[in-house]
Amino acid sequence: MFDDIKRFETGSPQQLDWFRQLLDGFLHDGDAMDLRAVPRGSFPMINVARSDDAVRVYVFAAGLSPSALTIDVQDNVLTLRGRRDASIASNEDGSARPVFRRERASGEFVRAVALPDGLDAERAEARHAHGVFEIVLPKREELKPRRIEVKAA
Amino acid sequence: MNNVVRSSSHSPRQQHDQEKRPQDTLLPAVDIVEESDVLKLVADMPGVTHESLTVEIDNNVLSLEGDIALNMPEGLSALHAEVRGQRFARRFNLSHEIDGDAITATIDNGVLTLTLPKKDSHRTRRIDVQAA
Repeated sequence: MFDDIKRFETGSPQQLDWFRQLLDGFLHDGDAMDLRAVPRGSFPMINVARSDDAVRVYVFAAGLSPSALTIDVQDNVLTLRGRRDASIASNEDGSARPVFRRERASGEFVRAVALPDGLDAERAEARHAHGVFEIVLPKREELKPRRIEVKAA
Repeated sequence: MNNVVRSSSHSPRQQHDQEKRPQDTLLPAVDIVEESDVLKLVADMPGVTHESLTVEIDNNVLSLEGDIALNMPEGLSALHAEVRGQRFARRFNLSHEIDGDAITATIDNGVLTLTLPKKDSHRTRRIDVQAA
């Protein structure tokens, strides 16, 4: 079950030349030239996967309650809006606390993802568990793969 | 002859796999704040459950590790992937003023909160000035 995420691994986006591959091996910076890469710290991170009957969108939004995320689908664009409050408050007397690291994103966010054609937004569902939202967008019936039987002549 | 060709054509791929392995582990984003008698560490670990999380302290090194446990059906193929690892891991060196035995941890909604109490000798205390 924990290998699941590995299925998102799509490998090198294009055939890179050997020298660049060698450099990437040293520098571990393959994402920099990947069009789909997002800047570090983007919130929330999004994975999209496709199965035969649906497209599934996984939104990695730790600490976001289901009511804090708005999910809209319009013209095959999925828009996620929400707000995550900063965990760091000041002391009771209003003085700031010493902060050693502040890496977690906070505040309002909007992210939009283009979806493939042929999805039935009417039947879309969303679930939430352990800080991950799963949005299931079923394909329209006429676009599902079907097998064609060969009849005897 | 076949063997020679096979081994030479396979070894780069194996090396490549080994190089890729460290990337499977993601670094969780953390906030660390000091309060009067505790340090608070908050880490984003979406998809990590209470069962798949381990928090360990060894020799003043605090290590957080958690597997991303997603319930995904079979037969999925990726269209777009920003999260490209299956576990979170991060280590911190604790300073000597932290009381390692009294650390408490909770995970809620993919957010891990650690409370690291300071040792008694390092707590802020107010000293009353007595009237002369």
